[in-house]
Amino acid sequence: MATTTVKPETLVGKRIRRREDPRLITGTATYVDDIKMPGMHHACIVRSPQAAARIKGLNIKPALDRPGVVAVFTGEDVKDVPSVPCVAQLPGLRQPHHHVLAQDRVYFVGHPVAVVVATDRYIAADAADAVEVDYEELPAVADPEKALAAGAPAIHPQWPDNTAFTFHQEGGDVEKAFREADVIVKQRITSQRLVPNAMETRGVVADWRAAERSLTLYSSSQAPHLLRSLLASIFGIPENRLRVVAPEVGGGFGSKIDIYAEDMLMTFVSQRINKPVKWVESRRENFLCTIHGRGHVDYYELAAKRDGTMLGLKLKIIQDLGAYLQLLTPAIPTLSVLMMPGLYKFKNISADVIGAFTNCVPTDAYRGAGRPEATHGIERMVDILAAELKMDPAELRLKNFPAPDEFPFATATGLAYDSGNYALPLKTALDEVGYADLRREQKQGREQGKLLGIGMSAYGEICAFGPTPATPTGGWESATVKIEPSGKVTIMTGASPHGQGEETTFAQIAADELGVDIDDVVVLHGDTSLVQYGIGTFGSRGTAIGGTALYYALQELKSKIKKFGATLLESDEVSLVGGSVVHEASGKSVSFSKIAAEAYRPMKLPPNTQPGLVATHFWEPPNFTFPFGAHVVVTEVDRDTGQIAIRRYVAVDDCGKLINPLIVSGQVHGGVAQGLGQALWEQAVYDDNGQLLTGEFTDYAIPRAHMMPWIESSHTETPSPVNPLGVKGVGEAGTIGCSPAVVNSVVDALSHLGVRHLDMPLTPEKIWKLIQAGGRA
Amino acid sequence: MKISGAHVISVPQERAYALLQDPAVLGRSMPGCDALEKIGENEYHMKMKMVLASMNGLFDGKVRITDANPFSSFRLIVEGAGKIGFMRGNGLLTLAPLENGTNVQYEGSVEVGGTIAAVGQRLLDTTSRMLIKRFFDKLSTEIAASGDKAGSALPA
Repeated sequence: MATTTVKPETLVGKRIRRREDPRLITGTATYVDDIKMPGMHHACIVRSPQAAARIKGLNIKPALDRPGVVAVFTGEDVKDVPSVPCVAQLPGLRQPHHHVLAQDRVYFVGHPVAVVVATDRYIAADAADAVEVDYEELPAVADPEKALAAGAPAIHPQWPDNTAFTFHQEGGDVEKAFREADVIVKQRITSQRLVPNAMETRGVVADWRAAERSLTLYSSSQAPHLLRSLLASIFGIPENRLRVVAPEVGGGFGSKIDIYAEDMLMTFVSQRINKPVKWVESRRENFLCTIHGRGHVDYYELAAKRDGTMLGLKLKIIQDLGAYLQLLTPAIPTLSVLMMPGLYKFKNISADVIGAFTNCVPTDAYRGAGRPEATHGIERMVDILAAELKMDPAELRLKNFPAPDEFPFATATGLAYDSGNYALPLKTALDEVGYADLRREQKQGREQGKLLGIGMSAYGEICAFGPTPATPTGGWESATVKIEPSGKVTIMTGASPHGQGEETTFAQIAADELGVDIDDVVVLHGDTSLVQYGIGTFGSRGTAIGGTALYYALQELKSKIKKFGATLLESDEVSLVGGSVVHEASGKSVSFSKIAAEAYRPMKLPPNTQPGLVATHFWEPPNFTFPFGAHVVVTEVDRDTGQIAIRRYVAVDDCGKLINPLIVSGQVHGGVAQGLGQALWEQAVYDDNGQLLTGEFTDYAIPRAHMMPWIESSHTETPSPVNPLGVKGVGEAGTIGCSPAVVNSVVDALSHLGVRHLDMPLTPEKIWKLIQAGGRA
Repeated sequence: MKISGAHVISVPQERAYALLQDPAVLGRSMPGCDALEKIGENEYHMKMKMVLASMNGLFDGKVRITDANPFSSFRLIVEGAGKIGFMRGNGLLTLAPLENGTNVQYEGSVEVGGTIAAVGQRLLDTTSRMLIKRFFDKLSTEIAASGDKAGSALPA
């Protein structure tokens, strides 16, 4: 027997460089647009320039007549194709039939009207310009509050009140809480529409093989199995003859969970022309036609005692849905309701959500999906309450947190927060930033006219979506681990990472559990013909659920490895050290690689054991996880220009146990960038006619590298009891913690001028005008 | 978007009124316009090349003259659509005599849609003003070329 070689150190918890990066930074990764097939055709979509119009005439002949054009399809051709699906269901939900091409009306700018198919992408684009569409313009409405007002134009004629649904939830006795309150503060708070802006736009290649009755669909998707199931049912293609591949996916931020009209349209086209067909979204199309995020108008009322004890919260959410319901559209504001108490103890809430149709592209999940809106709201309200009570905002927060021994903590909205020590990150961040000194500096500076702000957020979030009863897409995740005869390890995860780094973190987990080198582990994902059924990557679920499925699959293999080891060592008194099996009494051991070989060519099988080392585990989580943290932001506002400079950005995040702190930092940095984008710069603006005015990066300001502050990121680690890894999730934390901390900081800088609230984005123009007007917002 | 402004034309009011409604003159003076083709009473078909921000494209549309109140005012309506979207302009032109010509005051609005709105909105204001200025500049050149002068007799 060989001497056991035990790996000297574990990898979980270490800053391991991302193993997916070499192919990304050398430009050799394969995205949808890199896929080329023999006989592949190209599609270009004719889109409406009108937000609301009747299609009076459609002339495709000038396009069809062009050399190289093989087909043009219009609404008439696809009228029997089922609706683009929405899987989120609410009682009484009004769901308009979402045709893949407009029938006789268009409902938003960018609405697909026809698809031109040609032998070449340029021919298709030129021919699309030649399609003649005669529109009879109809009145449009782009603002959700205006859409709900009496006399507003009906977006869908059958529902003149433009209301897709209303949703009510309450907990405790909110009326009693408000009766007993000393102070009630009220504020209207908006969370503007944002464009998710994945670096890679969407793209689809559909390859229908009539003789095999099979479809292969490449799509830039976060959830390939879900896409497969939905396409299978929509087109009646057996699921075992339908392969969906999400190749390299260049970011999604929620926008690629959806199944889009184009996924269905390319399937339809490929079936009609019997050839593979590719469509790749242009950046301008991405602004117009990929889902937007946020789009809230919220009305808050917070009740409290004079001593700062918060008693109850009332919230009315007006959700801008856009013209249609995409996959999860109506569910997103219900997540805001779940998150509305934030990290605070009060048990009395009442929430009303009104889902309003508008002549805009639909909204859906975007990094945080409902939780950033709620966190922004409660964290702004706490600051408004602190100002009203003339209390320090940190003190007010600390007073209302549940204590660490109160977990699991049952919230007013029906959740059970798994574990937490909410005061710790806030105190850590305040110490880090030098809070007391800054307050002194702020006071002195004001006498000299300087505008210094110190703002904080104590955020919580709902992660690891989630238990199946609470997750419309299904909530479990799957993993298969194969140990090859040579001892090399292949992991197939049902999660579909597209930037989250699971090819690295999952390899770390497996390398530790099996005691193998990380280079001997490969993680595969995103191909439904390769990977067992899975749910996908969204809602900060990859590691907490997919990682746990992996963990249990590894445990199954380890127990089988132990059986093989015991047989080889001819003793039951053996133990596992990594992937090796040791007989302690004799000091004899058998290595992992020896067992791997033996498992496939067993001279003697352990009792009741099959040859081979393959295990699959599907793991259904018993609860969500609830990460938390505190961000403290120090801003300086330029009185003369309205410019906001971020002097310090301190983020203390608690996402449970860290598998890879380097990747966690990357997630926090990226999240903060998108949170800052919302707080300071980004806004999807539609004019009164429903025209999108911010349709490219010159008008829609996402932060660039030089606009980012130095992020002082650290962590507290409160393990989650929900899964054996103790992990919670971190993909959305940075975004959720950021925007309220930034806005609180700027309001704090201007508070002595009478400023109580500011709506995002805090553009220099807005701040300058406010200062010029003497600070009265 | 609202537009308004004034330009001076160096011909008398009646002549200015006629020139501003002359399809041949309008066709030559409107920037990017190929020609105007009469399709009805005071209604003309128009093809116009439009350049805005990073886009350019042909607009196919109509020019209409309404609310004519000789020789003091009329309304000019321009509508066009093409692959980069659509545009609509609607302006009331008011003419008043000056010692050396005619003051033409305009007030109206410009609306755009589609790609042109999504990527060109921020330039619409300055572009509209520039196009209107080019229109009047071209008109002045036309007047100079035709020998029209302030105070000269109306052609028969």
